[in-house]
Formats: sequence, structure tokens, C-alpha cells
Amino acid sequence: MRVLHLKVNGDDLEVAAPDHWTLLEVLRYRLGLTGSKQGCDKGDCGACTVLLEGKPVLACMTLAGNAQGRAITTIEGLMPAHIARGGSGPDPIQAAFDRCGALQCGFCQPGMILSARALLDRNQAPTRAQIREALSGNLCRCTGYTQIFEAVELAVAESLGVAPAPRAWEAPLAESRAARGES
Amino acid sequence: MLRMPKFELERPASLAEALELLADASVESLIVAGGTDLLPNLKHELFTPARVVSLERLGELRGMRELEGGWLAIGSMTRLDEVAGDARLAARAPALAQACSLVAGPQLRTMGTLGGNVLLDTRCQWYNQTYFWRAALGFCLKKDGSVCHVVEGGAKCVAAASNDSAPALMTLGAELVFVRAGGRRVVPIADLWLADGAMNKKLESGEILTEIRLPPRGAGHRGAYGKLRERGSIDFPLLGVAARLELDAQGAITEADLVLGALAARPVRVRRVAEELAGLRASSNDLDAALGRVAQLAYKQCHPLPNVPGDHEWRREMVPVYVRRTLDAALARQGPVRDA
Amino acid sequence: MAARDPHGVGAPWGAFHVVGKPNRKVDGLAKATGTAVYADDIALPGMLHAKTLRSPHAHARILSIDASQALALPGVHAVISGRDLPIKYGVIPWTQDENALALDKVRFIGDPVAAVAAIDEDTANAALKLIRVEYERLHAYLDPREALERHDPAIHEGHKTGNISKHVELAFGDVDAELAAAQLVVEGDYSFHGTTHAPIEPHCAVAQVGADGLLTLWSSTQITHYVQRALSRVLELPAQRIRVVQPCLGGAFGGKSDPFSLEFTVSKLAMLTGRPVKMLWTREEVFYAHRGRHPMQMHYKTGVSREGRISAVDAKILIDGGSYSSFGLVTTYYAGQLLTGPYDFKSYRFDSTRVFTNKPPCGPKRGHGSVQPRFAFEVQLDEIAEQLALDPIELRRRNFQGSHVRTVNGQRVTSNGFLQCLDEVSRASRWSERRGKLGRGRGLGVAGSMYISGTNYPVYPNPMPQAGIQIALERSGRCTVFTGGNDIGQGSNSMVAYVVAEELGLALDQVRVVAADTDLCPVDLGAYSSRVTFMVGNAAIDAARKLRAQLVEALALEWKIEPGRVHLAEGRASDSGDPARSISSAEAIQIAEARFDTLGSTGSYNTPQLGGDYRGGTIGASPAYSFTAHVAEVEVDEQTGRIRVERVWIAHDCGRALNPMIVAGQMEGSAYMGVAEALLEHHTLNRFGLHAGPNLLDYRIPTSVDTPELAALIVESLDPEGPYGAKEAGEGPLHPSLPAIANAVFDACGIRLRELPFTPGKVLAALRARKAAAPQEAR
Repeated sequence: MRVLHLKVNGDDLEVAAPDHWTLLEVLRYRLGLTGSKQGCDKGDCGACTVLLEGKPVLACMTLAGNAQGRAITTIEGLMPAHIARGGSGPDPIQAAFDRCGALQCGFCQPGMILSARALLDRNQAPTRAQIREALSGNLCRCTGYTQIFEAVELAVAESLGVAPAPRAWEAPLAESRAARGES
Repeated sequence: MLRMPKFELERPASLAEALELLADASVESLIVAGGTDLLPNLKHELFTPARVVSLERLGELRGMRELEGGWLAIGSMTRLDEVAGDARLAARAPALAQACSLVAGPQLRTMGTLGGNVLLDTRCQWYNQTYFWRAALGFCLKKDGSVCHVVEGGAKCVAAASNDSAPALMTLGAELVFVRAGGRRVVPIADLWLADGAMNKKLESGEILTEIRLPPRGAGHRGAYGKLRERGSIDFPLLGVAARLELDAQGAITEADLVLGALAARPVRVRRVAEELAGLRASSNDLDAALGRVAQLAYKQCHPLPNVPGDHEWRREMVPVYVRRTLDAALARQGPVRDA
Repeated sequence: MAARDPHGVGAPWGAFHVVGKPNRKVDGLAKATGTAVYADDIALPGMLHAKTLRSPHAHARILSIDASQALALPGVHAVISGRDLPIKYGVIPWTQDENALALDKVRFIGDPVAAVAAIDEDTANAALKLIRVEYERLHAYLDPREALERHDPAIHEGHKTGNISKHVELAFGDVDAELAAAQLVVEGDYSFHGTTHAPIEPHCAVAQVGADGLLTLWSSTQITHYVQRALSRVLELPAQRIRVVQPCLGGAFGGKSDPFSLEFTVSKLAMLTGRPVKMLWTREEVFYAHRGRHPMQMHYKTGVSREGRISAVDAKILIDGGSYSSFGLVTTYYAGQLLTGPYDFKSYRFDSTRVFTNKPPCGPKRGHGSVQPRFAFEVQLDEIAEQLALDPIELRRRNFQGSHVRTVNGQRVTSNGFLQCLDEVSRASRWSERRGKLGRGRGLGVAGSMYISGTNYPVYPNPMPQAGIQIALERSGRCTVFTGGNDIGQGSNSMVAYVVAEELGLALDQVRVVAADTDLCPVDLGAYSSRVTFMVGNAAIDAARKLRAQLVEALALEWKIEPGRVHLAEGRASDSGDPARSISSAEAIQIAEARFDTLGSTGSYNTPQLGGDYRGGTIGASPAYSFTAHVAEVEVDEQTGRIRVERVWIAHDCGRALNPMIVAGQMEGSAYMGVAEALLEHHTLNRFGLHAGPNLLDYRIPTSVDTPELAALIVESLDPEGPYGAKEAGEGPLHPSLPAIANAVFDACGIRLRELPFTPGKVLAALRARKAAAPQEAR
């Protein structure tokens, strides 16, 4: 057991944990930051993704001791950071995931959202191919990824002040509803 | 959650301190660099060290520097994404940059290091499993047991060298610098390997891989990497192909090298490649046939076993296809080759 | 109003204000910000951690268990084994053959044998290694054909039919005569290999027993009600002394439908120790628990007229059930019963047999029982189209059964938008311009399907409602809806909120949903069989209309107007005869609360009597069926054998999309999962009967770069009995993915893939076989 000095979501924290604990275990079971999820045990799914100095890493594959001295951002840190920068409510990428229906079971999404946040921090206008590539270490089992791509693209469109591309279902559905006299 | 066995973590602040810790033979120690190979292996109880020595704080092992004579040294703790994205490497070692760009997924590339990938443990579907799983089968030759499940009655472990960087570094003629307390050795990477999946590297106790050195290459250097895998991300290779060609000012091939990974316990250099290709120009009518012969040479030389998950007969069929595509990509200054 | 009365397809207040729109989900932001609480996020003071000892043998008798060393380990609080939980359970009341921990026998590698509760996971793991179990190994059945032929030793001793778990044979019409008269008969063998759900959240349960003896279990289950019943049976506690709560759930897809070992063991360990106990399965344990899609070996024979009209379908199916029954009785029926749409069959016969083998037990996975037969049949339809030189879409149109018809096996079909589904995918894919004309290696394929919106037969027979709702409405304007329905990510809590907001004219943010807590919520049968939107949605309308009537009456009296003039929408109550008269819904509620006292209502849903008049005729009988068509576009690399699915157009008749964004998400997620089953995923056992790679590295689920572009096209047929016309969307859209890809591969390069998954090795073999046959064809 040793005392770790961790910088989590801007706070300097001291926490005791055994040497063989991962960062994920310390976040979840010592600090109560349960937003980082555990899905596969060993680096295969990306649900535990956090940002270390702004870059996405897997907390389940990071020794807690080795996370010392580096800025850790978890999903819980995004909204407060956004507010501290003068925003209101959740980070725009979190809001976009919500507005696009990308959160089905939601279990993979804290990791997914952090990978997306890191992508947008280094590339303001990624293509869909770049979005696919950047999120390819985060497995999602619910969505088929489509609404995740749409969420990232919505966040991009809003940051650039342009309209997002319409979704496949919108025009045909509107047309058939209009044909039967519904709006 | 699948848990690691208990150990004591040391985080030395300098190389000297790390070497001192490793020199203490009374404590069974393992080195952790990026941890992306070691941590799953610890969770599978493939290793149960008393002490884990982390190289995380050794900034001196990170980054690249030019050496005399045009050599380039890459610190062993340089992250795979840094290698993949480095502009210098894209020009002088495209096969390496491409190989590192295809290791695992994005997060693991920001964590994993070049040194760690070079020294990756071999992999096998009967080995990379939990303690419960391995115990249910009475274990295997590589760990805790006495039989091989890949080759029934086999006496030698056939776990596969599954590092993407190794074939590329082989073609590039890289040298590895190992440092230990009171000593240092420089090993051409081709001399590192043993044809034994149980331990496929000649390593000495207490040493740390500090640098990977690349010899100078001229303007005619061409290289590419091809990776066969089932998914377009995350997966280890089912086959890795690294190609190097050197062209003279007239565009004629002067040197050629081809090394395959993930098939056997060590990376496999395809024989007689240079003989087939030397003297041919990219525009030559004979080139196509020669490339086809090289692909067939590779096919004849390679007999993958069902060591890593996946259809080993398909893996063999893919050898000539990926060899050809990777050579084509190298000549066209493209790559990496991937179809997933 | 009775539970079975339809509520109509129209908007309650003229136009829809909430329903039908791409609203946010009620829990989206909690999930996006990491505050949603899943089972493993629960930590209780003094909580112990439990681990399971599992069988290393595929089939063995347990001779003895010695836990004395484990119990002596400091930090260990309790060790239990099969003797501590001897009562069998199983989700189907007639086939209860499981024990929480093996009693006397183990039946697959990974079968739970003992459990330890300790101060932490490391200590519990150390204790597992100290438990000594003596086994006598028995012959293990790994091949379903062997299990069909012999039953000594039997996997379940005393089972009446040996190693046969269930056999169903049903015939409708004169199949033999129709086949003899058919102008074309196509016959073939097809196989499905077995896949698993792989939700990203592993199973987890936490139990706590109060000083008063009340047991609370938080579990990652998709069927709270059945877990409560099973706990009551096995623990011998009255159900009312057991509270089961489903926290936020990290995916299920049918894989969290059975009561599972961990739910009983943590409860028992909590009872024995007086401490809260948690068990979180490793990913490997989730693979052993399995309940995935059954491997099936299928033989189909279809007779058609020269015009392509189907006169007879004859099917024989061997189902590998694994080691326990689970939902297997239903699976065996569904494998035959759910094929009888969207096409009209003149005659139909199926003979399906589920056998036990010494493998992880199979169960319900998204599209339970019918994905495999649908694959076989839709590929066979493509073969028929080929032989008759008919366009595959045209063949399907010609056999369309129509709306408001009865199927050959006696099921009532109401709304049926399958033709529109075909139109949509045909239009979007530019089928007629592009099919057969994309050049070497590229192709388009079509397939169709039908699925249930719940079933009229509850898992245990009873005359009570299948779905119940309670609503509380109070003077602040807050409305809380209590539902036993399980939101497993499909959005059922949001659906309930939309319906109630629509009916009561509330803004969406006025509605809270409390769900899946057996102490707080009325009974609902859970998230399976695609029943939730249809049944819970109808129950929510039922409850809301009762409250709505009170609001309208109170306002009409207050304003002294005809009730017909009261209008409730978007958080306002107004007088349609006097635009100046408008108050907030909170004020309206206060007027009603003053007149009627505290406001609340209940509502429920029960299916009408449905099903064919024969044994098993109610299995697969649904109040409404959804319909789907896919067109897949593929590229086949003839050098590598790899199939790349570029795009899938998914048209799905969901009745009415209560939220089209959520419906589209279900369609896309379904298609993704089907594509994965066609190309990548394989629940494989090695020659020892051990799962070949029980982890998310070796069991390859698609990443974002492996998933095709997915285009969801929503068809609304407005079902007369669904809530505002809605039907299911969560399972049906998976089915056509697999055959559509197979059919597209045929269009691309002329090979027929009848054996799943379509690995590159199989594709190359088929290409070689085609090449070898080609010179003969040329002659």
C-alpha cells in the first residue's frame, strides 16, 4: 500500500492503494469516480478510456502508480471544465451524444466520449473516416456506431457554425408522414 | 474484475537507479514500459514477479536523436503513436512508421512503446488465457505445463512473434542497444531471435533496451508494411509483412528485403528476394513476374501453425497475396497494406 | 377501460407534440456525464466481494468438495456450494434444470461449483485456489449429432427424452402433396455457428439483507420480475420479502434474461454473513454464462410455382442447446413458428430438435430462435429467384401475405408494411439500376423478415396483466411514472415518458420515470421478446388517460365549459374556445388535486387471445408483427476472400416511430450485430470443450472501422393495437442482415454461402469450387 499523488480533473489528490492496482481500480473503487467503466478486464474494449495529458489511454492497462505526475481527465471532469471555461451545462460533445441518440446502454460511452473529445481537441473538423479511426479502440455493442459518428459530426458542425448532414431516415419519414397528413 | 497478482512497483527516476534495481538478483523483477503487453500477461498469471520496475519516469529513453554517420536513434520508451506520426521516419523508415500505426488501437498506441513492442512476448491461443483456462487443460509447454496443444507431441513451443515493429526493424537493419549495470551491448535485431516460442529472444538478466538504432538510408529507400488481421483495429497480426527496397538513381532495385511476422516463433526473412529483384526497374516488364516469384518464394517458405487464433490455412494462403501487395505498396511509396 | 382495449393510432390532442419526434432520452445526459449508476458502481458499507469456483471439466460427477482451507484463510467470510442452494430453477417453469452452484454434477467447462465471500476480490480469488474438488470425469458431448443418438451417460439424469432437450414437429396443410405438385423444388443445407451477446457491461449483482430480513438485490438483469420469482423459489423466501432492483444496465441483447448463478450466490452469501455482498463477473465468466444464439443445422425444401408462388416449405432443424434448458423450449418452437411471414405459405412443416451438449448453455439472443431459420430461408428464396430468373425483390413481392391476414400456422397478422419496406430499400439502393451491374466483386443482395412485438403467452401462465403502470401527479407539476419495464439501453423509460407527456399535455422535463424496482413499481414481465414498447406503451396510455380524464373534468368544471374544449399540450392547459384562457399544467394539476384529492392512476396491458388452436399454437403468437427488408452492398476481394460490407439499407416497419431517432438506433444496432454474426463473430469451443477465446480480443466484435455505413429507413404502418400504432424495432431489423450479405455475395461473384460465418477461407474455397465448375457450365 502506498500513497499516490494523483491529479484528477484538476484536483491534486492523495489516495492509498496497493501497487498492483490499476488506475481504473483507484478511480472507481478508491475515488468513487465510477464513470470510467470496466468491460473486458484487459485492454480489449476501451470502456475505461481516460485522458492522460489530453491523450486517450486505457485506465485498466495503466498502473495507478504510473499515473502520478500526469493530468488525468475522467468523464466526470468534462462538464466542470466546460463550466470553468465559461460554458454552461455539459461539454458540447456530451450534449451532442445525448441529442443524437448515441447513448443507448451508455456503458461504453464515457470512454467513447473521451476519445471523441481528444480527437476534436487535435482536429477541429475530422472526416468520417478520421472519426472512425479515432474511435476504433472503443467498442460499442448497441449503436452500430452510426449515431456516435453523427454526434461527433454534430459537435463539429456546431463548432463551425454549419448545419449537420441530414440523417438517412429524416427525409423519407417526413415525406411519408406528410403523405398521410401528419406533420 | 480480472486482477493482477500482487507485486511491488518501483519507479526509478534515472536509468542508473533502474539498472541498480534490476541488478538485485535476490528479487524476481520484471520491467514494465507501456504495460500494454505486460499487464494482460500479469492478469493471466503468466508472470508473477515480486517486483515490477517501471521505466515511465526515464525521459532519457524517450524521443529520437541523430547519431554520427547518419544513424537515427529512437529511445525505447518512445510511444508507438509518436513513431507512427513522425515525419522523419515516414521518409527514412516508412515500414516502421506504418507498422507502428497499425499496432492495436489508438489508446494502446499512445501507451505502448517501441521498445516494448520489440520485446513483446510471443503469443498463442493456448497461452494468452487466464489461469483458470490454462489449468483446465493442464497448462502448456510455454507456461506451467509439459505439452504443446498446437503440435500434439511437440517438444518445442511454437508461439508466434506477434510484434508488428520487428519485421520492419529487421528489414531496416536496426540495432538494439541494451544497457545493464556495468555493461552495454549492441545487437543487430536479426541476431536477437531464437526459434523457440517459449523465449524467442536472447536477453541477459538485468538489462534494459534503451535505444533502437536505424542505419542511414538514401533517397532510393522504399518500404512498406502489410498487416493481416480480422478487424481493422485492436487485433494482433495474423501475418505481418515488411518490405524494403533500395533503388539507384535510375530507379533500378539494388537491394531488397522481406521479413514476415506472426507466423512462427521469430520473424521470418524470406530467402533469395534480393536475387530475384536486383537490377529490375520499377518500369521493367520483368518486374511483375519477379514480384510474383518472390510471393511464391514466401509461400513455399512459410507454414503457419494454428498457434494464434484464426484459420492458419488461410493465413498461409495470404502470404503471397500480402507479400505482393506490400512490395507493390513499397514501390508506389504507399502503404500500409490492410484490407480490414 | 379494459387492459385489452386498443387506444387508437391518433394523437390525443390533435397533433403529436412529443410522440414521433427525435426527443432526447430521459437518461442520456446522466450516461454522457458518467453519473448514471450501473451495478458495479454500487458500493455499500462493509461490502464483501464474492468469486465463483468453476468446473474445469466439460462433464463430470462431483465426488467431494473440501473448502476447509479456503475458510481458514484470513479475510474469508463464507464459502458455499451446491448443497447450500439445492433447489433447481430455470426461466421456463417446465424445464427447471439449473442450480446456482452445481449439485453433484458439472455439465460444461465453467459451470459454477462453489462461491466465496471475502473482504476483497484478491482474497476471494486466493480462497478459490484453496478449495479442493474431486471429480469423476464423464464422457463429454461436444457434437449435437452424437447427443441426438446416444444418452449414456445422460447430461441431465432422469430427463425423459435422454439428451434431447425438446422436440417439436408441426405441419400445416399437405406439404408432401404440394411439394409433389410444385413446378420447382429447391432444397439445401444451411448452418449457423453460434454467437454470443457480448454486452460491454459484464454481469454484476449486489445483495444486502436488512436486520428485518428483507433481501435487496441490485442486478444487471433485463427481467427483474423473473429474478424475484426465482430468488423466492431457491431461497425459500416469500417474494414480498425480496426486492430486486435493476440499476442502469450496460447492454443485454437477451444475455441477461435468465436468472443467473451470481444472483443467488450473492443473496445467499449476504444472508449467511449479514454483510452486503457484490459479485462482478470477469469477461471470461460472461462467456461461460453465454445464453447466446444457438448453433443450428438446417435443411430446407421449398416448392414454388413457375411464377414463384410458394406452395410448400419443409424444414428440419437440429439445435445445439448446450448444457441447460434456459429458454430452449421457446427456441425450439420459434425456430419454426416465426417463419410464416411476410410471405404466404400454402403449406408448411417443421421438425426441430434441441439437444443438450456439454457446452455453455445457449439461450435468447436478439431475434431469439428465428435469425438462423430466416437466414436459411431467405438464401433459399434467392436461389429460387435465380432458378426462375426472377428479380429477388419481385419474388418477395409476389409472395407477400398482406395485412390483416392469418398465417398458415394460425397467427394473426395485423398491420404489415413489408411492401413499403421493399420499396424503400429498392429505391435507396437504386436496386434496379445497380443490381447485377456493379462489376466483378461487387454486389447487392436483399432479404426480408418478420418478428414479434411481444408474445401473448407469459413465461408462467397467469391471467394478470403483462404490463402495469402507475402514475403520480402532484401540484408542483411533476409527474412520476412507475414501470416495472426494464430499460436495457433500448430507451423504454424514455418511451414511457413520451407517452405520458403526450397524453397529459406535459413538457417532457416534467416527467420522471422510476423503473425496474420490484418494491416501487407494478409488475412488468421485462425486456424480452420485443414486448416493451407495445405492452408498456399501451399500459402507459391506459394509466395516463384515466388521469387525463380527471384533469379535463376538473378544468371543465372550473372554467364552466364543455370538456371537449379543454386542451392539454406542451405544459399548458387551455380553452380551445377562448385563446385567452391558458394556464400552466402545474396550475391545472392544482385545480384537479383540489377537486379529486391526491392524483394518481394505474393502467395495464394484456394481449388479446391469440394463437393457433394446437399444442404450441400460442408460442410465437404476437399482438403485432414487425417487418423488415435489407439491401446489403458488398465488395468481395477474390484474392483474400474477404467480404467487405460497404453499406446496408435497413427498412423497418415499426408501426409508428414514437421516437424516430431511437428507432433508427435500434435498426442500426441490429444491422450491425447481424453483419458481425455473418462475418466475424464465432462462439467457438476447442476440442476440449473449452471456449476457444473467452475474451473481447479473440471474440471479435466489430470496431468503428469494421462497421458498414448503415442507412435506417423507417416505415410506419400504424398498427391498430399498438400504442399510437407502434410495434417493435429492437430485434426484427437484425434478421435480414445475414442473408442479405449472402445474397449480395452471390450477386458479386456467383458463389452461394450457406454456412455461417462467411470467413475468408470459406469464400476462397467457394470461389475455387466455382472456378472448377465453370468449364462445365460453359459447355
